[in-house]
Amino acid sequence: MSNKQRSWLVVPANKPDAVAQAAKSGADVVVLDLVEFIRDAHKPAARANIRAAIDAVRAGGAQAYAQIDPQQHEADLHACVWPGLSGVVVSRAETTTQMSAIDKHLFLLEKERGIPADTIGMVLALETARGNQDAYAIATASPRVRALTLGRADLVMDLRPEPSGEIHQMPYLMERLIIIARAIGATPLGAWWRAPDRGLLSTAENTLQAAKRGRAVGFKGALCLRAEQVAPLNKMYA
Amino acid sequence: MTYQTKQKVRRSGLTMPIVTPRFVDQAWRRGCDFVTLDLEDSVPQDRKAYARTLVKESIPKITRAGTEAFVRINHEHMAADTEAAVWPGLTRIKYPKTETADEVRALDALISKYEKERGIAPGTVEIDVGIETAVGVTNVYDIAAASPRIKEFGATNGGYDMSRDLGVEMFVPFDQFVYLRGEANLAARALGLGVRAAPFIANTTGSVSDGNRALRLAEAARACGLRVGGGGLNPAVVESHNVGYTPSGEDVSDALWVLEQFERLQETDEPWLEVEGRVIDRYEAERARGTLAWADVCAERNREKTEAVAKVKAQIQAQEQAQQ
Repeated sequence: MSNKQRSWLVVPANKPDAVAQAAKSGADVVVLDLVEFIRDAHKPAARANIRAAIDAVRAGGAQAYAQIDPQQHEADLHACVWPGLSGVVVSRAETTTQMSAIDKHLFLLEKERGIPADTIGMVLALETARGNQDAYAIATASPRVRALTLGRADLVMDLRPEPSGEIHQMPYLMERLIIIARAIGATPLGAWWRAPDRGLLSTAENTLQAAKRGRAVGFKGALCLRAEQVAPLNKMYA
Repeated sequence: MTYQTKQKVRRSGLTMPIVTPRFVDQAWRRGCDFVTLDLEDSVPQDRKAYARTLVKESIPKITRAGTEAFVRINHEHMAADTEAAVWPGLTRIKYPKTETADEVRALDALISKYEKERGIAPGTVEIDVGIETAVGVTNVYDIAAASPRIKEFGATNGGYDMSRDLGVEMFVPFDQFVYLRGEANLAARALGLGVRAAPFIANTTGSVSDGNRALRLAEAARACGLRVGGGGLNPAVVESHNVGYTPSGEDVSDALWVLEQFERLQETDEPWLEVEGRVIDRYEAERARGTLAWADVCAERNREKTEAVAKVKAQIQAQEQAQQ
């Protein structure tokens, strides 16, 4: 298995077929989502499916991450921290208290489940205004933080395209995130999406352009939602 | 009459020198959501004291037909101007060139004092801080968080004072204020305040009376989900701002369509649907609901203003007839 992390394909954890396809997509990382694409009614099934999904992802040659909800971190971590998991993406990361609690819970679960200490890393998705405002404090709240990303901030913060095609506020937020990530030794993940790209969704061609611009401003890999976005990310973030 | 619409609607406004009676007396006819009576840049130094004596009587002239009355004070005469400005009917003080949170707290305390002394419900008068200097940008979050009277916050295109303080040229065809706007607008969002922002559209002429350009800007802001107008200097931009910030009929029917599609999505277990090349998901549904709610509030505000103006006109007519 490669340790590259150019492309991070997010896939709903409650859909075994989608997970199996993602595993074979060529993505360096498959992010098993428990938050963005899972309705409350489907959460128990998604959590129950995660352990098998981790194995499926690894069998396909990709690294396995899980996307967790900091508001429900105990249940999400309990479901996903198993041998084979490389880390967690913390959706809508907002407070240092959340980060410390997640860190502590990871420590306990690693110990309980025979995983070497500090194996599980954290990727913070700064998707809210509060999370971005306090990014530096949040990102330094746990030594496990390995990467920062804006995730789907355009949707969560309701930032829409300007006449220029830039998504409102995004040039500022990207640059701010990259500076903070570099300052603390974490990896900035993302791409310079422009209209009509939306919430990490884009065509293969537009993903290529977004990654080309993203690489130029300092991103080192990006999250995406469709298998066809993986190849352009792997190419541009090579 | 005073403002009735529950949610504040500040799409359009005019800033005018309080010492020019022909502007102040006619302001209620302009269709503005708000009028800012200026004690600052448009009033010469030797008329500042006189200008202060006009505020109390000018406020009812502005509010008589449903327009909100704001006053812009001088940074360097905060105490005297605030004493002159806080009277019944006033809903906001604009405090220019704000640089520190302490200044805002001092202003807040003064307003509280005069609200109490003059029988105004506590918290009625908002503070609108202007970030117009480099020091202000440096302290932007602390300033925005300094008083619960701050309800709307942000930065648009820099403006004259900011440009002078930073030594940048105005009216160039590229965006010089990415960082300034980003800092101010992120602070506003993090604090849950109304966001006063604007997408970048080059203005290389410096015109303040171009109604078409004002409409384009307001429409672009609306397309970005922005709802707070900064006002203008020329009556020619008022209607453009009223229209530009209000959802169009097309926006409303599109929002209804999105919600119909979202109903369909709810019947599946898919996280999103693609319909006619568009993604339908909970974020789109939320935007659509927001558009419909904002359209309702704008319609209510328009109705309120129209009725108030008609009433004042009828009163004036009756007075004229009585005199004849």
